[in-house]
Amino acid sequence: MSVRMTQVTALVLRAVAAGHRYGFDVMHVCGLPSGTVYPALRRLEKGGLLVSRWEETEQAHSDGRPRRRTHELTARGREALPAAERKLADIARLLGAVPDAPEAGQG
Amino acid sequence: MILRAWIRLVSWLVPREDRATWREEWLGELLANGGLYQDAWGALPDAWYLRMDGWTMDGMVRDVRMAVRSLLRRPFFTAVAGLTLAVGIGANTAIFSVVDGVLLNPLPFPEPDRLISYNHQAPGLGVNVPLIPHSEGLYLHYQEHASALAYFAVLSQGNVNLISDGEPQQLSATRVTREYFDVVGLPAVAGRTFAQGEDRPGSEPVVVLSEGLWDQSFGRDPGVIGTLVELDGVQRRIVGVAPDGAQFQSEELWIPLVIDEADPELGSLGLIGLARLVEGATIEGAHAQMHDLLLRYSETYPDEFGPDVMEQTGLDADVKPLKDVFVEDTRQILWVLLGTVGFVLLIACANVANLFLVRAEGRQREQAVRTAMGATRSDMVRQYLSESVVLSAAGGALGLVMAAFGVRGLLALAPAQLPNLLEIGIDGSVLLFTAVISLGAGLLFGMFPILGYARRDLSGTLRDGSRGSTAGRERHRVRSGLVVAQVALALVLLVGSGLTARSFVALRSVDLGFEQEDRMTFSLALPSVEYPDGESVEAFYRRLEQRLAANPGVERVGMINGLPLSGAKSASPLEPEDNPFPEGELGPIVEQRSVTPDYFATMGIEIEEGRALQWEDRMDQLGGVVISATLAEAFWPGQSAVGRRVRTQGGDFSWEVMGVAHDVRFDGVEDEPLPMIYYPIVNRDPSQAVVASSIDVVVRTAGDPLGAVSGAREALREVDPRLPMINPRTVETIVQESLAATSFTVLMLGIAAGIALLLGTVGIYGVISYIVGRRSAEIGVRMALGAPAGTVLRSFVGQGLRLTGVGVAIGLLAAFGLSKVLETLLYGVSATDPLTFGGTAVLLTVVATLATFIPARRASRVDPVEALRSD
Repeated sequence: MSVRMTQVTALVLRAVAAGHRYGFDVMHVCGLPSGTVYPALRRLEKGGLLVSRWEETEQAHSDGRPRRRTHELTARGREALPAAERKLADIARLLGAVPDAPEAGQG
Repeated sequence: MILRAWIRLVSWLVPREDRATWREEWLGELLANGGLYQDAWGALPDAWYLRMDGWTMDGMVRDVRMAVRSLLRRPFFTAVAGLTLAVGIGANTAIFSVVDGVLLNPLPFPEPDRLISYNHQAPGLGVNVPLIPHSEGLYLHYQEHASALAYFAVLSQGNVNLISDGEPQQLSATRVTREYFDVVGLPAVAGRTFAQGEDRPGSEPVVVLSEGLWDQSFGRDPGVIGTLVELDGVQRRIVGVAPDGAQFQSEELWIPLVIDEADPELGSLGLIGLARLVEGATIEGAHAQMHDLLLRYSETYPDEFGPDVMEQTGLDADVKPLKDVFVEDTRQILWVLLGTVGFVLLIACANVANLFLVRAEGRQREQAVRTAMGATRSDMVRQYLSESVVLSAAGGALGLVMAAFGVRGLLALAPAQLPNLLEIGIDGSVLLFTAVISLGAGLLFGMFPILGYARRDLSGTLRDGSRGSTAGRERHRVRSGLVVAQVALALVLLVGSGLTARSFVALRSVDLGFEQEDRMTFSLALPSVEYPDGESVEAFYRRLEQRLAANPGVERVGMINGLPLSGAKSASPLEPEDNPFPEGELGPIVEQRSVTPDYFATMGIEIEEGRALQWEDRMDQLGGVVISATLAEAFWPGQSAVGRRVRTQGGDFSWEVMGVAHDVRFDGVEDEPLPMIYYPIVNRDPSQAVVASSIDVVVRTAGDPLGAVSGAREALREVDPRLPMINPRTVETIVQESLAATSFTVLMLGIAAGIALLLGTVGIYGVISYIVGRRSAEIGVRMALGAPAGTVLRSFVGQGLRLTGVGVAIGLLAAFGLSKVLETLLYGVSATDPLTFGGTAVLLTVVATLATFIPARRASRVDPVEALRSD
């Protein structure tokens, strides 16, 4: 099953690729609300671009909190990364084309 | 901890197999990140996503198709449940569309938030004076100094006579100062609106038509702009057409309100003010500024009202959103009605939930088979929910159709105070509302069978049938709870409708002070061009009276400038000549009317002392007046008022009291009689010019009052063919119209309570019948063992009564708690009237007992052999 690359999925995918493994870290780094990030993570996982697993119990227990779930890119996820980059670049270009912000079009 | 509870609650949405891990995952993240509440909201969309993930589009179509098929298999059940919902949803949609149009939508003007009503209030006057408008002097003062206002206009409403094609025609006209169209912010659709200086003396008389009038009378002909029309004997040039929606109150044309800046009229506060705030100004700011300006005005013009009068009357600025002025009267009624129909929908839901529970009971075998074949619990939930949602969607659609018709009926019945410039109808937000309540209702009643059945392990059902099982006790409790809720809700509605009905009866039996049967009335407006002074006006009235009295079937003819209950108001402070109020102290504000001598006899108003008026009582002859009993008692308590003299406070001319008339309710049927003074019909110096003479003519008839209309029209035409007869109707109609708001509420609450009672009764009947059916085997055993039929009967009736009793008790408490809501809508009955509360409780108990009796009787006639053999 393929995942439709939207701005949100692309952002989330890149955030995970950059090493943000927990759902809430992704949320904070992307600046998106949890209600947006979680469904995106689930879609990516379902599409086979991500895998998630529980962290080690000892780690959590030593910190005195429940276990957390970590996410990692799969091989397919890494293959999809360029598509995500393109998507984000497209959006950036699109936004740069707004006449009010001509200087953004330079780069 | 709230976070844990929230996650646990939301996790209910997540498919069962993932629930535990989902919960752990969210709690892990939330706790690791400091447990911020705003992050926790995201759990809901996530859970929803997981739930929907299993529900593909194909699956949903399949669910709906299955639900439809399953519903159609039981057409009677489906029709009853669907109709019940349609009634509930339809009633809510209809009332909501009115609430939406009147209370929630903004006014149909650009930037409506900046539109304000800009007037005064005077709490010190005590009597119900809702709003004190402006005098010409005040208007000019604010106009010059109020910087918070971008535009400020004053207006006065009235009528004009238009003569076209020889036929006189009456048109509603509002006199406005030039800025009126700037205030409402709507440009002309043709020509222009008023120009600078057209509201000052000496300028050419002009008129602006409304789009509706332009359409009807001139066929939208742009050529009429620039032409002349004769209004009240004055030739006016049509300068333009303003769009429909620019009306203050459904007027057909606008005429400039001419104010002489050099010599403004002071002391007559009759000009309603409205304004548009400058951008960024607040209502509070405008209020503060107006307050200061009013103080300054009082110092500058102590003649109009000095600081002492200000202090006594508590005169102050009154600034509020324009919209509030329009909806003031209807707001509470509408909210009460919306609450009422909300109750009806809840009762409908309870009923349908009960039907669904019964049906689910009958489907246990089907469920067991499906489970055995691998259906999961989530499949069952989906099946139940899709059935209930499909049913409620159908009910909602039908309800929408009902509402579309209902709204029309509602508007026909609604009191005239409903502002007509607000648009009422089924629009997008109404559709959304209907969709939401339909879905909500579907989920609400769909939940009950799920809670009751989907949880259970059904394998037992397949094995041994359901004979004599007592496993349903918990479900009985759910069903009984629903019945109790229904009874309680129905009781609240019945109490509400009982209270309003009682106050309606109280209002109907109020002593109005006049008689309403067999009396016809119409209005006239005499143009000052043709009737310039008191002499000519009086001559006209006497001629018309004689001519009308000559008509067959006419017994008496009287005239007054503003009938009771017709909304007219005119008042001034009076004082007794022999005991004047000290300087600076304000006398009582007395409602004043001018009448012809026969007015009292025509209206059946009793003269308690002295005599009625005579034509010779006019100012330049006897100078006599009649006052009301309330006023006589206020000025000369315990003494005779006849022969005493009264005058306008500080005035030179004093009038002799010729008689004391019985009190009349002028403001409203529910308002206490005001102190009144009746002057002769021409009460100024008869040689002086009159501004406008508007008069209500009353004709007492021997037979059908409306039968006298054509004769009266003929008589009027003979006396002056150029005068239109305005608004012929019966006095009874006027009384009914003033009760319209109350009768509307009574009718609506009555209908709602009737539906509630019916649904509640059906609910009780259904539950008891069902219990009887389920326990027929047990009853059979008991009767075979010798239990007498009477005991069985009593046991079931008792069961029904217990449910009813609990419901009635809860309902009485709830009604008591809600009594505050109705308080201001009631008249002559306390909001906690024991008779209404008690009577309603008895009525509901009796009806419920009857509803129980029928199935209970069936139970007592069970044939033991038959009962044990079946199943």
